[in-house]
Amino acid sequence: MAAMSDPDWPDLEDEEQEMLSEAAAILAKRGVADAAGDLDRRLDMLSSAAIELRASWTTSEARCIEWAGLFLAEADLDGQRQEIPIAVADAESIDSAAAVLGVAAPAHQPGSTEWLALNAHATGVVALTERLGVAEAATRELARQYVPTLSMLIGPLGAARLVVLAGGRERLARMPSGSLQVLGASGAMAAHRRGAPPPKHSPVLFSLPQISRAPRWVRGKIARYMAGKCSIAVRVDHFDGEPWGEEKIAEINQQCVNIRERFPKPPRR
Amino acid sequence: MPRKPVKLAWGIRREGRSLWTRNAVRGVSVRGERRKTDSRIEWRSWDPTRSKVAAALLRTAKDPSQLLPETGATVLYLGASYGSTCSHIHDQVCGAGNHHGGQVVAVEISPRAMRELSELAKLRPGLVPVLGDARQPSQVTPYVRNQADWMHQDLSIADQAETFVRMADVFLRPGGTGLLSLKAASERTSDGDDDSRFAKAAKILRESDLEVIERINLKGLEEQHVVFLVRKTVNSG
Repeated sequence: MAAMSDPDWPDLEDEEQEMLSEAAAILAKRGVADAAGDLDRRLDMLSSAAIELRASWTTSEARCIEWAGLFLAEADLDGQRQEIPIAVADAESIDSAAAVLGVAAPAHQPGSTEWLALNAHATGVVALTERLGVAEAATRELARQYVPTLSMLIGPLGAARLVVLAGGRERLARMPSGSLQVLGASGAMAAHRRGAPPPKHSPVLFSLPQISRAPRWVRGKIARYMAGKCSIAVRVDHFDGEPWGEEKIAEINQQCVNIRERFPKPPRR
Repeated sequence: MPRKPVKLAWGIRREGRSLWTRNAVRGVSVRGERRKTDSRIEWRSWDPTRSKVAAALLRTAKDPSQLLPETGATVLYLGASYGSTCSHIHDQVCGAGNHHGGQVVAVEISPRAMRELSELAKLRPGLVPVLGDARQPSQVTPYVRNQADWMHQDLSIADQAETFVRMADVFLRPGGTGLLSLKAASERTSDGDDDSRFAKAAKILRESDLEVIERINLKGLEEQHVVFLVRKTVNSG
């Protein structure tokens, strides 16, 4: 195997040495370029971008609503939530924004630079909404293609998140389902090592309605069951199995309901 | 009053608690290190809090020049990362324009790090960047001429000691020097506290063809790290 590492192998000529290092440089470069062909890395960028956009969208959007709502006392902050940033972004003044939303003009006017800041903020929120939509749509598309079964089971965004957290599809496929169950709950696992009770599920699994809508005392049981199914699903995807159909997914969801029904009452202390 | 520099090797010297290497590429810092010129030779500061080899040089109880490769040597560096430590080793082994005719084979698995590393290699002839898995001898073997005189492994994976033994078995020449940087946190799969993990690694090293010369604790410079200084026994295959 180690032909050139054989001590009896003749020394390379200077010219050969030169060629070898040139070749090494080219190979290294090619390897770096090839990293873009790795779907794990592509999904990582896409999914992380979507998650980061989602985080900043939540803050910015909430601020925009609160800010506009301060002036537009009559606006319905829940019913008109989606219209408010658009109306403020497109308006010339706070009065015209009020007119577009069909509410009374504000009792106090913002200063002119203050209005510019509010208007720019709302414009940013509108743009951010669009970017978030594009990023999430692209993540969904790639996840449906890369991990179809897992995407069907827990949704494409959750599936993408699990693959990224595990550091690649192969790693996720080789992971025991007990690890998958707490993947992403790193803080809780660190606390567990210091003596706290173990986490029942990761935030990824908790976002599933089967778990988050279930009563507290069965969440761990359902999470364990779902983690098992997830790890089978990703193995199906990674090791070229036959993707599951709707029927199989419905069967799994029914099983979650069955677990819930088996434990209708909280355990007695 | 500046301290008198102590020469550790051709291109490496110590001044008090700081280390300097003879810059092979004049006027260029790799990671923004300080440079200084002393009688027409440019020296580049080697930060022991960022490089485990530098930290080991300061912490060793033995003669630090024992830890270093000679100029013109063949060096295998597993887990080169962005190549800052590598560049200092290159300063010593190859010198400007590789006038010593040394070879530093830098293996790294991450394409992101390799990107910077191959930029570095453009300026530094003799530094060979290899994008590959440092645990697989077959991925490294085409690049190493004969066998390495000196090797260093700095990977953050489980069973670093086993990997080191396997790689040293193939690549290190009898009598060659090896440094193994061991991070306790990477061995978290094995039970026990840091000390028992290090002891376990030492046991694996002792049971091979390697002679453990020193276990260097980097406390104060790198937490939870030790560096094993080993030498391959001469009469082993």
